[in-house]
Amino acid sequence: MSVLDELEEARGDLEGLLVDVLESVFGEEAAPAWEAEFGGTRIARARLAIHDEVTNVYTGVEVCVDTVTARLLAGRMLNVASPAADDLLDAVGELGNIAGGNVKSLLYQHARLSLPTPEILDAAGVTWEPAVRVHGVVLGQTVELAVLPEYAVGGLAWPPSQLDEVLETLP
Amino acid sequence: MKILVADDSRAMRMIVIRTLRQAGFAGHEIIEAENGAQALEMVQKQNPGLILSDWNMPEMTGIDFLRTLRGSGSATPFCFVTSEGSDEMRALAEEAGAMGLIAKPFTSDVFEDMLSTVVS
Repeated sequence: MSVLDELEEARGDLEGLLVDVLESVFGEEAAPAWEAEFGGTRIARARLAIHDEVTNVYTGVEVCVDTVTARLLAGRMLNVASPAADDLLDAVGELGNIAGGNVKSLLYQHARLSLPTPEILDAAGVTWEPAVRVHGVVLGQTVELAVLPEYAVGGLAWPPSQLDEVLETLP
Repeated sequence: MKILVADDSRAMRMIVIRTLRQAGFAGHEIIEAENGAQALEMVQKQNPGLILSDWNMPEMTGIDFLRTLRGSGSATPFCFVTSEGSDEMRALAEEAGAMGLIAKPFTSDVFEDMLSTVVS
């Protein structure tokens, strides 16, 4: 069985997880959807990776929305009518962070989660790698959660572990 | 009471502050930090009565922030608000001296249950 097949077995749980996260973050009812229906030509995406410290394998987590949804999300999260571009990135990054943390708790025991890397892309330029992709609808907008095996982690940031350095500076 | 909210996402800090109000903990002074290192500095300067901190943050993580804080002798009540709620992380948090861990996504009821012994 391939890693993708193993992830596929968690599809139902991932779908439930996405709906729960959307309902909590948007404060509205959400439902599963069969496929992504992104409007417009721009996509907001948060990329993260989970590093399984037992197998030394990286699994990707990506959350994708169109920019209309990103604007709605940022407006809700920050309680502002006209969110700025930085607000969109912050909101999508945090949505990815919440989803990534929950995916990690669902699928792994001893693992590290990267920091989210949010970005806004031209939809036409996005390559859709093999992944388990689940979708949710909230406020009529589609959100995609993708879990990608054997993920290329280039460009991602990881939380530091600086405790020893910090302790050395204490009096 | 002064409450310190540490999270690298401004959106999440806003949500935590809003949820505190919804949980009935309005009227407290809120101070904010973007990472553990900044939060540590603010604790030393402003002496909050409660700390709500994310776990995964740049510069210094929440668990390193807590361990450093306890290492310096501070007993300020500390609660994680984080996207990861595994048993392993809950155990690590408790071992390091946290009063608890609230996993995102959360509700105001969870805040009320977890924090009512510390915040009135």
